[in-house]
Amino acid sequence: MPLEILGPMVVLGIAGIALLLHLTGQTAPMRFETEDDARRAWLREHGEDAPGTVLVAANGRAALLRLGSGALGLVTIMGADPAARYLTGASWETTTKGLRIRPPDFAAPRFDIALSEEDRAAWLALKDQTT
Amino acid sequence: MTDQLTYPDVVALAVPFFIAAILIELTWILIKRRGGRYETLDAVTSLIMGAGNVASGIILGFITFGFLMVLWELTPLDLGTSIWVIALCFVLDDLRYYWVHRFGHRIRWVWASHVNHHSSQHYNLTTALRQTWTGTFTFMMVVRAPLILLGFHPAMVLFCGGLNLIYQFWIHTEAIGRMPRWFEAVMNTPSHHRVHHGRNPRYLDANYAGVFIIWDKLFGTFVPELDEEKPDYGLVQNLGTFNPIRVAFHEWVGIFKDVVQPGITWRDRLNYCIQPPGWSHDGSRDTSEAIKAKHLERNPEDRGTAGFEGG
Repeated sequence: MPLEILGPMVVLGIAGIALLLHLTGQTAPMRFETEDDARRAWLREHGEDAPGTVLVAANGRAALLRLGSGALGLVTIMGADPAARYLTGASWETTTKGLRIRPPDFAAPRFDIALSEEDRAAWLALKDQTT
Repeated sequence: MTDQLTYPDVVALAVPFFIAAILIELTWILIKRRGGRYETLDAVTSLIMGAGNVASGIILGFITFGFLMVLWELTPLDLGTSIWVIALCFVLDDLRYYWVHRFGHRIRWVWASHVNHHSSQHYNLTTALRQTWTGTFTFMMVVRAPLILLGFHPAMVLFCGGLNLIYQFWIHTEAIGRMPRWFEAVMNTPSHHRVHHGRNPRYLDANYAGVFIIWDKLFGTFVPELDEEKPDYGLVQNLGTFNPIRVAFHEWVGIFKDVVQPGITWRDRLNYCIQPPGWSHDGSRDTSEAIKAKHLERNPEDRGTAGFEGG
């Protein structure tokens, strides 16, 4: 198939499917409604390191966890599913909207977490207690 | 020798079919409210990975084709181009696929290329198109060498590989439960391949087949899909990004970081490339065997059941 046909077909195909998915409501990020939601998301990937303290962001898109091992963990939303990361070696930065956390991980390089000032203080306090 | 043999680029020709099938599956899911799920960013990432795979084939395909043509010049054998030779080539190329795929899960260097295909937490027809950009760098084209040396023309071998890839497209769906028993016994199916994409300890390193599931049954890697244990799709450690560049290259970066770290031996550095995913010099990570063993410690009643026979 000539590239002049294949190229536009691929581009239009991707754009069309993306638009259709969005318009039919498939862009619906999940939320952690409760601490247990966040715990389950963590245990799904790290079943041997049970969370103790769990701080869920008010928008339900991330949660900070202090783990049985003594480390800190983060669960975040990836579209309709969660992802979990240890925060050992991560850099923390205060932003106008909350926190920016950068784990030393090419596959999870940056998490921008929207937090109220009160929640941000709680997250930073948990971090300071743990490290 | 038939040097000037050409076959259609079946994968490129199948692109309109891929798009139509995705639209049909999505419509089915939206109407029936079952049979799978879609998420916009996940699907777009998969589709971009698919487009990148086609682009990398256009840019780097000459390396594999050139290598195979060198072998073709060396071999004194030429099986010709009859339909039976093509059929035999298809079956043997599927055996080739089984082993390349198995290496892709058991050798980290090859896994670095294949991992992106497993990086979606969804299982729908777009997942089928989430293909590697870096396959050339695994050097797995050498597994095709026996076919060429036996007298199958490189163009025919690549044509059969394209057909194999197209066959595997339709099995990436939850909209189809199980096929008729005879079909499930011989062919790779949505049910068998759902197992392959499962991150459940039971389903790790199983069902490597492309077209014929008989290879898994023959080589002891077959695990049936259990009604009581739905596959949990994705990676043992799921990605925290939809960035296609990071999806394509994250495991290569991981290998690089492991290999150049200070304080380990040269054997350790080599092992970070060739041992199974999850291997580490200090035992701080888990391979699939370790994951299965830990699961059996927590769930001893699973010992001896499907996927845990060796435990």
